[in-house]
Amino acid sequence: MKAFICGFGTIGQSVARVIKEKQDFFKKRYNESLTLVGALDSRSYIIDPNGLDADTIIKAKKETGKVGNTEYKSIKDALGSVDFDILIEVTSTDIKTGGVGLDNIRYALQNGKDVVTANKGPLALHYKELTDLADKNDRYLLFEGTVGGAMPIINLNKYDLAGQKIKSIRGIFNGTCNYILTKMDSGQPFEQALKEAQQQGYAETDPTNDVEGYDSACKVVILANSIFGRNATFNDVEITGITSINSDAVVLAQNNGMVIRLIGEVSATKLEVAPRLIPRGHPLSLPGTLNTAEIITEYAGPITVSGVGAGGPETASAILSDIIDIMDERIGD
Amino acid sequence: MAIRIGAIMIVNAELFVNDLPGQLIGSIEPISMVEGNILGIVHNRDKIIDHRICVNVTFEVDDKQLDRLKDLWKAKDIIISSLGSVHETFTMHYILIGDVNAQYIEGLLKMVNEATTLDEVNVSYSSKSIRTASHTSLITVKARYEDNLDKIDAILRRECKNANVTYVRGV
Repeated sequence: MKAFICGFGTIGQSVARVIKEKQDFFKKRYNESLTLVGALDSRSYIIDPNGLDADTIIKAKKETGKVGNTEYKSIKDALGSVDFDILIEVTSTDIKTGGVGLDNIRYALQNGKDVVTANKGPLALHYKELTDLADKNDRYLLFEGTVGGAMPIINLNKYDLAGQKIKSIRGIFNGTCNYILTKMDSGQPFEQALKEAQQQGYAETDPTNDVEGYDSACKVVILANSIFGRNATFNDVEITGITSINSDAVVLAQNNGMVIRLIGEVSATKLEVAPRLIPRGHPLSLPGTLNTAEIITEYAGPITVSGVGAGGPETASAILSDIIDIMDERIGD
Repeated sequence: MAIRIGAIMIVNAELFVNDLPGQLIGSIEPISMVEGNILGIVHNRDKIIDHRICVNVTFEVDDKQLDRLKDLWKAKDIIISSLGSVHETFTMHYILIGDVNAQYIEGLLKMVNEATTLDEVNVSYSSKSIRTASHTSLITVKARYEDNLDKIDAILRRECKNANVTYVRGV
C-alpha cells in the first residue's frame, strides 16, 4: 500500500520514520510494504511513486525548512499528483475553521483514499460530515491520535470494550495544563508555571487553546461522537479553563487532601471541560504531562488508561495502530 | 450510618440476651418477623453484664416497624442497650474564586438551604486573599441523599456563572 503524509512537522517526521522502521513488520504481516510516496508541508511537497526515503526528506526539511522543491497552490495539485491509498493527515490543528486539515481529509475521502489523522480540528467541528463522507465513499477515517497521543482510548473502546455500554469517560486530556497545575501544586504561581511550560516546549507561544480548555474540549467532542454516538461539535462543550486558578485555590485544595486538575467529562448527557478537585491518590490526580482517562463501563467497572499525550513518536504510535487497522481490513492479516 | 431508601433505614442495635442456648437466634428472629434484612451480627461473648451476653446487630428495616420490633425483643426478655439509626452522607467540595466574600457565600448557602437539606456545611477562606478583591473559598457540604448534591451543584453553577465567579467542584 502507499501512503501520503500531509503535514511534515514533528508528528509527520515521526510517522515517516516509523513507516521506514516498520517495513519488516509490514512485509511479515501482509507480505507487502507500506510505501511513503508523498509528503507535504505548508509550502511544498515531494512525491516519488517508487517510495521516498524518510531520512532524506527529514534532512531536507531540517536544512531548508521545506520538505520538497515543488510548491503548490491547491491541495489537489499535490495530492492529485501521485497515486496512494492512505492519507496521513497531521497538519496543525485549527479549532476555529478546521484549517487545511479539513480540506485535505475531504479531498482524500472524496477521491477514494483512507484517512488516518491526529488533527483534532476537523473532527471536533465536522465529525458527522466527515464520517458520513467516509461511509459514503466506503473509506476508513481513523483518528486514535486525536485524543491522548499515545494513550489508547478510541480503539480501546471500539475493540476491547466492544458491545459494552460506556457510562462515562473522565480524563486529563491536556498535558500542558496538567504540567502547569502540577507546578502550582509545588507553590509556583500560574504565570510562572506557564512560562516554564513554554520554556520546556510543552506550551505554545500562544497557550490559549491549552489553558482555556479548548484543546481538551476538542477531545471531549471526538470521544462523545465516536464512543457515545453523539452528534456534538466544539460549541456544545461547556468549557472553563485554568487561567483563573490561583495559588490560594491550590493551597485550599491541598489542605483538604486534594489537587486541582483540568478534567474533560463526557457521557450520554454531559460534555464538559473544567478544573475539578481531585482527591490525592485518585487516578485523575496524576501529575506531570501525562494524559489519563477513567472509563466507566457497563460490565468491567472503571478502567483507567494513561500515556504520554503529545509528542512525535508517541502520536506516531497511535497513527501506526490506525494504519495497521486499515491494512488489516484492506489486505488481511 | 443510615442509608435511607424510601422508608427503609439502616439500624444498629446492641442487645443483651440471656446466656442460654438458642438466645442468639431468639434475638435475631424478631428482625425477620418485621421483614428486616440483617447486614451484620457480632456475638460478643467477652461483654457479659448480669449473666447476659452482648449481641450487636445491624439491619435494614422499614422505619414504621421499629416499635413493633422493640416490643418483640422485650417480649423475649431481650434488653435493648442501644438502638440507633445510622446514615451515610455524601460529601462534595467546591472552591470558589472571585468576588466571594463571606456575605456572598452566606447568600449562596441560604439559597442552597431553601432548595435542599444539608447535613453539614463548612466554609474556609484563603487567609492570604482576604485582603484582596479576589477571594478564594472552599465550601464542603454533606448531604443525606446524592440527589441533594445535584441540586446544590446546579445552584452553585448557575449563581457562580451569573456572578462571574470561577467554580471548581469535586468529582
